[in-house]
Amino acid sequence: MRIQLNARNCAHHFEARPGARMLYAGLAAGVNLPYECGSGTCGTCKARLVSGEIDDLWPQAAGRKYLKHTNEFLMCQCAARSDCTVEVANFVYNADPGACVPAFRAGTIEGSKALTHDVLSLSVQLDQPADFDAGQFVAMQLPGVPGYRGYSMVNFERATSRLDFVIKRKPGGGASEWLFKGGADGARVEVFGPLGVATFHPNLGKNVLCIAGGSGIAGMMSILAHAREARYFDQFHGYVFFGVRTYDDGFYLAELSQLAGDFPDRLHVTIALSDEPVPAHAQQRHPALRFDHGLVHEVAARTMQGKYHNVRAYLAGPPPAVDASIRMLLLQAKLPADHIRYDKFS
Amino acid sequence: MNKRFVCSRADIPANGMIQREAEGGLNLLVVNAGNDYFAYQALCPHQDVPLCEGLFDGAVLTCHQHLWQWDIRTGAAMGLAEAPLESFPVEIDGDSIYVVSQGALNAATLFTGISDATLAAITALAKKEERPAGSICYDFGDPADDFFVLESGRVEFLLGRDERSSPAGFMLRKGEVFGWAALLENQPQRIARATCLEPSQLLRINGKQTLELLERDPAAGYLVMRRLSELIARYLTSSGSR
Repeated sequence: MRIQLNARNCAHHFEARPGARMLYAGLAAGVNLPYECGSGTCGTCKARLVSGEIDDLWPQAAGRKYLKHTNEFLMCQCAARSDCTVEVANFVYNADPGACVPAFRAGTIEGSKALTHDVLSLSVQLDQPADFDAGQFVAMQLPGVPGYRGYSMVNFERATSRLDFVIKRKPGGGASEWLFKGGADGARVEVFGPLGVATFHPNLGKNVLCIAGGSGIAGMMSILAHAREARYFDQFHGYVFFGVRTYDDGFYLAELSQLAGDFPDRLHVTIALSDEPVPAHAQQRHPALRFDHGLVHEVAARTMQGKYHNVRAYLAGPPPAVDASIRMLLLQAKLPADHIRYDKFS
Repeated sequence: MNKRFVCSRADIPANGMIQREAEGGLNLLVVNAGNDYFAYQALCPHQDVPLCEGLFDGAVLTCHQHLWQWDIRTGAAMGLAEAPLESFPVEIDGDSIYVVSQGALNAATLFTGISDATLAAITALAKKEERPAGSICYDFGDPADDFFVLESGRVEFLLGRDERSSPAGFMLRKGEVFGWAALLENQPQRIARATCLEPSQLLRINGKQTLELLERDPAAGYLVMRRLSELIARYLTSSGSR
């Protein structure tokens, strides 16, 4: 099916296979269509159907609440049934040269294991290696679960066949319930990606501030892995704030300790416990980490005072936590908006 | 001028903002900053998010959705924002706040910041045009004498002829400028077709006469040329590459 996409600045043309979500078809063709979550929640990929017919693959998608007219639809949830002309009220450009162009990739779930009582890690072994940038995510389709869910990669390697993820259990969430009931290993999955703009490149030339709540630490681990490989913290400071409810909800603490130990002068990792004072044994077990009591954005605000010079901030986690961090960084820290990166997709 | 009641001063928290519908059904964001009041379009020009849910620190307004920002005193785009806010001049009468609607030229980013005298002189050149849906503002090969400022409606552009033609974007915001070849040297002919898709109100302004006015006010001329080069950089991307 031929899609003509009329944008504010010009028209783009791309092919979409029958049943392929229009957003994914356009992104795979190197057209930077507007999106944020890529999985039906945020409404950012709203478009208007000018001509042609489409099928809505997930009419229950939460992001449909942003649609105001009957001819509007979410590109991430709709597939063309005929040649279509659609319109978005955005400026749309081609993907930058060198960007990791997303594609559909098949793989197999491996090595799923519990990290805490409600967080698990797993890997997807891809049939073909793929490139992604540190901080990116993929939209994943699990067997028998409608729609795609966004998950950030934890690891970082070029041309990797393995994508590592952490998944937080969401009671009643179809995808996470399916993963937590066990027996996920060996399941065939399809991912579309990489997606997302909250990426890190070692040529950034800035100190890096990461504020993550819960499973939002995933993308930060990828950023830190890339930064470690490039010995980025020989030159620049890294400030990592990882918010969890209690000490027992923490994970990746050994990995974070190791990272902080590799760069003791410039990489500062703080674990923020929101629901309990810091237990005495926490510091003994992880001497390279700092522990503090409070919401992660409050702990970051206290600790970062006077350290915002030449900083790029990366935010991830539950939307209310990301919003609180944005508010803190803009209003208190007076960080310019273009120095703040996040992808809201949970 | 059309003056509409919006709300009373007491309705707005100090250094805060509210969304209100003005008389006649105009949806506005009304903001207090110190002793001053400002009124803007209620929804973010990016994704129609209510701006009253955004962040305001007394000087800069931020939409919480994608962090587009604006200078609260002018509505000018800052940081990541790709479009200014449409501003509505405020009049205070006792405790009551009114807005007056302003012409498209005042809303045009191309002319933001130039002297009042030169803006008034350009306004005097402008001819108002009411066009029905389907009407063609200009076609391939037409002389590029005048440029246009959109007051209301929607204008679409087409590049290339017949089956090789390709849509080249569209205009839908008050104050957007098109046909700017009239402000360039050695661009005597139109290279696109501009069609009104809806009934549209336009201002038609002669390019040569505008350039003469700008030559007499080089500070204004410098600002306009800077904005024009930004505009060209944004739209002269038929392939979509940046």
